[in-house]
Amino acid sequence: MVGMTVMPEILEETSEQVRHDRKWRLIVWNDPVNLMSYVSYVFRSHFGFSAQKAEKLMMQVHHDGFSVVLTGSREKIEAHVQAMHGYGLNATMSQEA
Amino acid sequence: MAKAFKRTSRGIAGSLHEPERKLLRDLFDDVITLLEERDEIHRVDPAEDLDPLYALTGMSPDRGPLPEPSDPATARLLPVASDDEQVANEFRRFGEQDLIAAKIGRLREAQFLMENTRIVLDEAAASRFAQALNDVRLVLSQRLGIRDEQDSERIGQINDAAQVQTSQDYMALVYNLISWVQDTIMQALLDSEY
Repeated sequence: MVGMTVMPEILEETSEQVRHDRKWRLIVWNDPVNLMSYVSYVFRSHFGFSAQKAEKLMMQVHHDGFSVVLTGSREKIEAHVQAMHGYGLNATMSQEA
Repeated sequence: MAKAFKRTSRGIAGSLHEPERKLLRDLFDDVITLLEERDEIHRVDPAEDLDPLYALTGMSPDRGPLPEPSDPATARLLPVASDDEQVANEFRRFGEQDLIAAKIGRLREAQFLMENTRIVLDEAAASRFAQALNDVRLVLSQRLGIRDEQDSERIGQINDAAQVQTSQDYMALVYNLISWVQDTIMQALLDSEY
């Protein structure tokens, strides 16, 4: 399932450690540079969230220091982390416990 | 002086005057240079071209993890993707070059926009321009030592050219100008949606 269809021999070390049945989280972290308007816009335009949802997640990042914006397969979350880095947002991925 | 970007019938439009455009051209150049310098690390040794696995897949499994960028500004542009070191290393190994290329593409496009005073953009182009401006802000923020919201507030207060005494003050002024331009683009984009 989870995004490990790519070159399993090469990624052997990782595939031993990564549990396939647990989902991955996309976490966006607060930082003192990105504008609130920009973060809201990215949440709306990239993820297609409603204005209310984008605003709520943006405020969560601002006040709590981070927000789990999405969960899903490793492949999907990887693509979103890459997109967030493209926008300059501090985003990481981690597997659910 | 720059004029705020606004939503118009022809698109998202604003103005930047020659000294501002020259400044931005140079700053886009600086960020492109940082990214190009980092990109060197991905260039494959000619000997590795002979590696059949590399020839087939473009992957070089024998090389160890890529070091993080040593310049904090470059590191901020290409951040660590996971608290799991192995996941982060893999992400850097397989994704960083694409990220660099995408950023350089947007920065070059932004440079071209600096040819004219009046800038009119469709939504997708306005979004890409905002991304390029944001990358400049990320780099300047590292040079200005903005680490928390207090720093950001302190820097935000430097907005009068008459107060400027040091090169750091000047950089802060530039940072604030770019933040303002970017924010007006965001307001224009947000106005148009939903």
